[in-house]
Amino acid sequence: MALPRYDARNRDTGSPEARAPPPAHGTLSWRLTARRLPTDSLESLLLSLAALAVAAILFGGFVALQGHDPLAVYQTLYLGGFGTRFSIENTLTQAAPLLLTALCTLIPARVGLLVIGGEGAVVLGGLGAVLAGVALAGAPALIGTMLTISAGALAGGFWIAAAAALKHMRGVNETISTLLMNYIAIALMNHLISGPIRDFSQTLKAQSWSIPNPFMVGNIPGWSVHWGLVIGLTFCVLLHLVLRHTTLGFSFDILGGNRRAAQMAGLPIGRLMLLACFLGGAAAGIAGAIEIVAVHGAASESLVVGLGYTGILVAFLARQNALAVFLVALLLGGISASGGLLQRRFDMPHAVTIVLQGLIFICVLASNAAGRWHRSSG
Amino acid sequence: MSSTLDLGWWGVVLAIIAGAIRVSTPYLLVSLGETLTEKSGRVNLGLEGTLVLGAMSGFATSYLTGSPWLGLLAAGVSGAAMGLLHALICNLPRVNDIAVGIALFIFGIGLAFYLGKPFIEPRAPMLPAFPLGSWSHHPAMRSAFDVSPLFFIGIALALALEWAMKNTRWGLILRMAGDSADAARAIGRSVERIRTYATMAGGFLSGVGGGFLSLFYPGNWNEGLSSGQGLMAVALVIFARWSPVRCFYASLLFGGASAIGPAVQTVGITEGYYLFYAAPYALTLAVLIYSSSPTQALAGAPNELSISR
Amino acid sequence: MTPSPPEVEIVDFSKRFGAVQALDAVSVRFTAGRMHALLGENGAGKSTLVKCLMGYYQADAGRILVDRQARAIAHPYDAHALGLGMVYQHFTLVPQMSVAENFVLGRERLPAVLDWAAEHAALREFMARMPFRLDPRRLVATLAAGEKQKLEILKQLYLGRQFLVLDEPTSVLTPGEADEVLGEMRRLADAGELTVILITHKLREVMEFAQDVTILRGGKVVARIDVADASEQRLAAMMFGQSHDTAKPELASRAGPSANYLEIEHLHALGDRGTTAVAGASLAVRSGEIVGIAGVSGNGQKELVEVLAGQREAESGGLRIAGRAFNGTRRELEQYGVSLLTEEPLANAAVRSMSVMENLSLRQFDQPPLAHGRFVLDRRAMRPFADDLIRRYGIRTASRFARLDTLSGGNIQRTVLARELSRDVRLLIMQNPCVGLDAAAVAEIRGQIMQARERGAAILLISEDLDEILDLSDRVLVMAAGRISHETDRASADRYEIGRHMAQSRLSA
Repeated sequence: MALPRYDARNRDTGSPEARAPPPAHGTLSWRLTARRLPTDSLESLLLSLAALAVAAILFGGFVALQGHDPLAVYQTLYLGGFGTRFSIENTLTQAAPLLLTALCTLIPARVGLLVIGGEGAVVLGGLGAVLAGVALAGAPALIGTMLTISAGALAGGFWIAAAAALKHMRGVNETISTLLMNYIAIALMNHLISGPIRDFSQTLKAQSWSIPNPFMVGNIPGWSVHWGLVIGLTFCVLLHLVLRHTTLGFSFDILGGNRRAAQMAGLPIGRLMLLACFLGGAAAGIAGAIEIVAVHGAASESLVVGLGYTGILVAFLARQNALAVFLVALLLGGISASGGLLQRRFDMPHAVTIVLQGLIFICVLASNAAGRWHRSSG
Repeated sequence: MSSTLDLGWWGVVLAIIAGAIRVSTPYLLVSLGETLTEKSGRVNLGLEGTLVLGAMSGFATSYLTGSPWLGLLAAGVSGAAMGLLHALICNLPRVNDIAVGIALFIFGIGLAFYLGKPFIEPRAPMLPAFPLGSWSHHPAMRSAFDVSPLFFIGIALALALEWAMKNTRWGLILRMAGDSADAARAIGRSVERIRTYATMAGGFLSGVGGGFLSLFYPGNWNEGLSSGQGLMAVALVIFARWSPVRCFYASLLFGGASAIGPAVQTVGITEGYYLFYAAPYALTLAVLIYSSSPTQALAGAPNELSISR
Repeated sequence: MTPSPPEVEIVDFSKRFGAVQALDAVSVRFTAGRMHALLGENGAGKSTLVKCLMGYYQADAGRILVDRQARAIAHPYDAHALGLGMVYQHFTLVPQMSVAENFVLGRERLPAVLDWAAEHAALREFMARMPFRLDPRRLVATLAAGEKQKLEILKQLYLGRQFLVLDEPTSVLTPGEADEVLGEMRRLADAGELTVILITHKLREVMEFAQDVTILRGGKVVARIDVADASEQRLAAMMFGQSHDTAKPELASRAGPSANYLEIEHLHALGDRGTTAVAGASLAVRSGEIVGIAGVSGNGQKELVEVLAGQREAESGGLRIAGRAFNGTRRELEQYGVSLLTEEPLANAAVRSMSVMENLSLRQFDQPPLAHGRFVLDRRAMRPFADDLIRRYGIRTASRFARLDTLSGGNIQRTVLARELSRDVRLLIMQNPCVGLDAAAVAEIRGQIMQARERGAAILLISEDLDEILDLSDRVLVMAAGRISHETDRASADRYEIGRHMAQSRLSA
C-alpha cells in the first residue's frame, strides 16, 4: 500500500520531496538512474513500439471475434497503407494534415496544457482561408496562396490562444474549453456555409464560396500528393528547432516542468502560454487552410473528419516529440488510408480504423506507467 | 400541424419545457454518474464514448431481444465496462486521467459505430412513457409531455445520492477518497478500489443515459445521436458544484437550452438554426468561465481532482 | 474505567533501504504511562523506527513486544488494534469534511447508515473530557494549523489509542500552544491514561516535558537516559557526536549604516483560499545585513515570499529594490541580483523532470555563453557551465544529465544553492532553507549565507525555526497575522518576548 508522505516540515499544502533513502520496492539502484537524454528517447521509442505491438495484438483478437482472419487483416492494413505506390501516396495525403494537427496538442503540452481543440482550429483555419482567398481574388497566384494559408494560420492561432487566455485569466480548464470550442466552431461553420457565405450553385451539399482557382495548390511533381505535405513537414522541423534550440523553447520546458519555478525565474507565464497555444492553433489552422487550397477549394462538412482528434493521438504516441511526429503521422495516415480497402475486402465499417486508433491510444497511455519506473526515485 | 401553429409562441414555451424535461434526462443521469466519479477523485472525459456505446448496445439489445428494458440494462452494463476500463488504466501509476478519457472517447465511439452499423435502419421496441399530456387535445402537446420513467428515477437518484453522501458509510468513504487520498490510505482504504467502483457506477449511469437516447428520445440509433452531451455533463457537474440535487436543476437548464433550437423552428425561425445548436456549448463554456477563478481551486471541488488543481 | 496504557518494547530492529541502513539493531523500551522522547537529527532513523512500529514498513529483523507479548504488526490495522496510534507531521484530515466527519471516519467499524444525532451527542460528551475542544461542525479546511494539530491528537484519543506517537507535533504551533499541547500530553501520561512518544529535535521540549530520552544517530541507539540526568548540552553532544557548539556564531559587526536595498511597504496579498494572508506588511533590509522573520507557519510568510518570488500577485502595496519599483520580471531579477532559496526546492524552484545541467542553467540560459543573441540556445555550452558548478558546490550526482529528482534532498538544495549563489547576489531571500537537510548541508548553507553577507548582500531570512533566526540574524522581526508585529536586534532578542508576539491573533493556515 502507498505510504503516508514523510517530510520534515510538510504543511498540508506541501508536496513530496525527493528523500534519501527511497523505499526499496520497485526501484533499481542509483547507478542505473543517471541517463543521458538520447537514451531516454530510445526508451521512449521502445515503449511506444511495445504499446503498438500490444494494440495490434488486441486488434487482431477483436477482428478474430468478428470472424475475420487477423493475419489477413494485418496484411490488408499494410497493403492499404504502404503496399503499393498508390497506397503510399494515399497514406502521405492522409498523414499531411496530421503532422500539423498533432502540433496543436504537442506545443501546448510543452507548457503543461492539455489542448484538444485541433478539430475546431482546423475548421477555423478553413474558414479563414476561404474568406481571405475570396477577398484577395485577383492577386498574384503565389501571394494569394501564401496569404490564404496565413489567414488560416491566424484564425486557428487566435482560436486556441483564446482558450489559453481563458485559462490564464479565469483559470478555465483548457481541455474542457477547447473541446467545447470544437463544437462551437463546427456549429459556426455550419451556420456560415448554410447562409452567409454559401455557394448556392452547389446543390449536392452545403458549401461555402470557392477560393479563386489560381490560389489552389497542386501536387508535388511526379506524385499524387499535394504540396501540403511539404508545408507540414517544414513546419514540424522548424518547430522542433525552436523548441529544442532556442531560449523560447527552453522557457516552454521550464514552464511545462514546474510553473512555480518558471515564475521564480521571472518568466512571463501568461505570454508563454498564449504563444504556445497560438503556435499550436496556427499549425492546425494551416492544416485546415491546406485542406482548402490543396483539396477541396471550399469549406464544407468535409473539413470535419476527425483530423483534430487523430492529431491528439499522434501527439501522444510521439510522446510530445516534434521529430517523432512524422513517423507516427505516417503510421496513422496508413491506418486511415487502409480503411477503404478494409471496407471493401472484409465488409467492415469504416469505423474499424477508429477502433484501432482508440486501442493504440489506450495502450500508449498505459505504457506511460511502465515508462519511468526506474527513472524517478519515488 | 396547424394545431401546433395555433399555439404560436406559447407552443415555443411549452416545447422548451417539454424539451427541458425530455432532453435533461440523459444529462441528469450522466452528470449524476460523473458526480460519483469525480467525488472519488477522477475525471472521466470518456463519457461521450460511453454514452454512445450505451445507446448502441441498448438499441441493439432491444432490437434483438424485443425488450427495451433488457436493452436498457445492456446499455448500463456496457457503460460499466467502459468505466471499469477507464478506472483500471487510471489506477496505473503516472497515468493522466484526462488523456485516458479522451482515448476512451475515441475508442467508445469507434466501437459503437463499428458494431452498430447493422442497426441503423431497423426499428427497435422503445421504452414506455408516462402519458402526462393526455389531458390535451393537441397531438403535439400530448407527445411532448410523454415523460419517461427514467426522468423520475433520475430525480429519485439525485435525492438519494445527496442524502447518501452525507449519511452513509459508503458516501463518506467515497468523499474521502476524492478529497484526501492520503487520509483514506491512512485508515487502510484502497483508494484505487473506491475509484474503480465509482467510475463503474458512473459508467453504468452514462450508459443508461445513452440508452435513453436510443430507446426513448429521439428513439433510434444513428451516428449523429449524441453531440457532446457526455462531455457537457462534466461541465455540468462543475456548474452544480458536485451536488447531485444541483445537478438536477442544472440538467433542466441545459435541457431547456438544447430545446430552444428545435422549439423556435416550429414558429418558423429557420435563420441561424445552427447557432442555436451552439447554444448549449456556449452556455457550458460561459458557465465554466463564470465558475472558475485563476487563483482559487473551484469551490467545493474534491481536492484530488486533476482539473481543479 | 479506561484500561492502562500499553508498554511497548522494540527489540533489535533493523531496516535497510537500498544502500542505506536506516536502522541497525535498535532496541528501545517504552515504559507505560510515561512520556518518552526520541531525539535525533534528520536522517537518524526516528521516523523509520516509528513507521516500522506502526506497520507502515516491515522491519527486516527484530521483534515488537506489547505488554511483554510478542506481536506481529504487518499493517497499520494491526497497530491500531493494539491501541497504537500516530500523529503525523502532515495532516491526515479531509479538508472538505467537517470535524465530526473526520472523527467518525477513523473508526474501524462504521454502520452502513450514520445516525448523526447520536454521533454528535457522543462527540460532545467526548470533548467535554478532553483538554482541547473544537466545534464538530466546522469544515476542516477552515481550521488553523494549530487547531488541525489538536484535532489530529483528539482523533487518536477518540479512537481509543493509548500509545501515542507524536511526530514533531509543535512545528506548526506557537511556543504557548506547544507548551499547552505537550503539557496536556504529559498530564495524561502522568494520570496513567497514555504512553506518549515524542519525536522532536527541540531540546527544550525534551528537557521540559519528557521523562526518558532515546537518542538515535545514523540508525543506531547512542544513548538512553532519564531526562532528570540530562542537560541540553549533553543531549546535543550525543545527538551530533561532537561538541556541538550551541552558542551563537559571532557576527562581525558591520561598518556602519548602509542604504536600504529591499523595501516592502504595506503589502497586501490574498492566500489560496481568497482570504487575506499578508495584511499590510512593511519592512526594509539593508545591504550587508541579515534580517530574520520569525513566525509560526500560516501567518503570511509563505505568501510574502511568493509575492517576492513572483508566484503570487500582491493586492496592493509597494515593493522596491534600490529605490526602484520591483515587478519581478526576468530582467529585473538579473539587474538587481535577486536570488531565492525556498523550502521544498522541487516544488518551488526547480524542475524535477529536467536534468541537473538544465536546472543549473535556469537563471542564465538567455545570456552568453549559454545563449547567442538572447534567442538561440547553445546546449553544448551548458555542459562546462554545469560541470563547473557541480564541482564548486559539491553536488553529488551520477552525471550532469541525470534527472534532478534522482538526487537526494540535500543535493537538490545544493543544486539550487549553486545556481542562486554563484551569481552576483545583492538580495538573497530565503525561506526555511535548511528543512529536511542533514547537519553537513545545513552547515554549508549557513556558511554560504555568511559569505554573502560579507560580500554586502541584503539578506532576508524567513524561518519557522526560531533558533535558526536567532543564530543568524542581525535584526529579528516577527510576522503574525499577516503583518510585522515586532522588531528587535540581535543583542536584545529575548525568545519568550518574541514567542509572545508570534502568538498574537492568527489567521487560518
